Amino acid sequence: MYYIQQCFYSLCCVIGFSVIFNLPRKLLMPAGISGMVGWLVYVLIQPLTTSFIMPSLIGSIVVGIIGESFAYVKKHPATMFTIPGIIPFVPGYGIYYTMLHIVEGDVDQALMTGAQSLFIAVAIACGIILATTFMRKLKPYLLHLL
Amino acid sequence: MTKENRLIKLALTTGRVLLTNGAETYRVEDTVKRMLESRGMEEVNVFVIPTGIIMSTLDEGRNYSFLERVNPAGIDLEVIDRTNDFSRRFTSSKMSLSDAEQQLEALLATPSYGRVIRFIFCGMAGGFFIFLFGGTIVEFLIAYLASSLTVLFFDYLTKYKINFFVKHLLAGAAASALGVLSILGAHAIGVQADLNMIIIGPLMTLVPGVPLTNGIRDLISGELLSGSAKIMEALFVAIAIAFGVGIVLQLGLGIAA
Repeated sequence: MYYIQQCFYSLCCVIGFSVIFNLPRKLLMPAGISGMVGWLVYVLIQPLTTSFIMPSLIGSIVVGIIGESFAYVKKHPATMFTIPGIIPFVPGYGIYYTMLHIVEGDVDQALMTGAQSLFIAVAIACGIILATTFMRKLKPYLLHLL
Repeated sequence: MTKENRLIKLALTTGRVLLTNGAETYRVEDTVKRMLESRGMEEVNVFVIPTGIIMSTLDEGRNYSFLERVNPAGIDLEVIDRTNDFSRRFTSSKMSLSDAEQQLEALLATPSYGRVIRFIFCGMAGGFFIFLFGGTIVEFLIAYLASSLTVLFFDYLTKYKINFFVKHLLAGAAASALGVLSILGAHAIGVQADLNMIIIGPLMTLVPGVPLTNGIRDLISGELLSGSAKIMEALFVAIAIAFGVGIVLQLGLGIAA
């Protein structure tokens, strides 16, 4: 039940952000699904590991793979699906918090949240690039299998 | 204007449209390069940073170089999608220059979502985030409304071309002011809600998570200059929001105490 709830919330959240990014109407649902599956993988992996990087990395690899597949099926750039898709785990709040800690004069906390957010962002970027690279190379074989 | 100059201008305008609306660096470079090469230009070199495009090319022994200044204005996926489609059609067909200029013009007048739809969906964006962070239904409702209002306020500021730092500072201040006011309101009618939780929602619509990730993606792909520039932009947006929120929270707590 918990996972179904999380799916629904992340789906709504990603679709909302897609509208903020002015995503074409007919791509809202695919983008929402890529974000939803990414977040589901993220919450499934979170209890299995103590690392804060692993869930984001694997989640964004999944988002990247789904994005590339949708890009192929729907004939639109993969960015249309990956940018909204990574929204649920993007560390926007982390860098805001870093700056808030600095404004409040709490430098230790700022360094910690800052480093964490930076590495989460690196993990997400890395995941997307890994997924894109592999999907581009594997595409001929995958199409052959289908 | 000569034919070559018109072609270069068309390609650079396409590049500028892409870059203004938040397309990736490699996409802009690739688009400009392909558009020029499809009409027989040689040795096309394009260099893109978030605030400008520099290109040089050879055509029948003559050397052309241009610099196009760009002001980034957030992410608009619809425009990127259409421009991308336009450049593909341009490179794969024998489209005439005047046709292409007209199409590019038409493309800029893209429909975006109406204000009511934006209000409903932007609320969803911030509101459902509260649930992902483990919030309650009251906090969800407040955050939903606050997010919608924040995004509309932000759109309003964008329309008047206000400097990005000031814009984010004001929007951050507005988001937290809404949070503080609604907390006071909720407490007045006896409902419990957490202030931090409520501020997260509307702020999520402002914080530069995607620009930061895009910047790092550029860095990883070897676009060192534009990657650094995007990360700096994301940092300063975050500073602006933190300033806005900080000011309001200090004032708000002062009033409450």
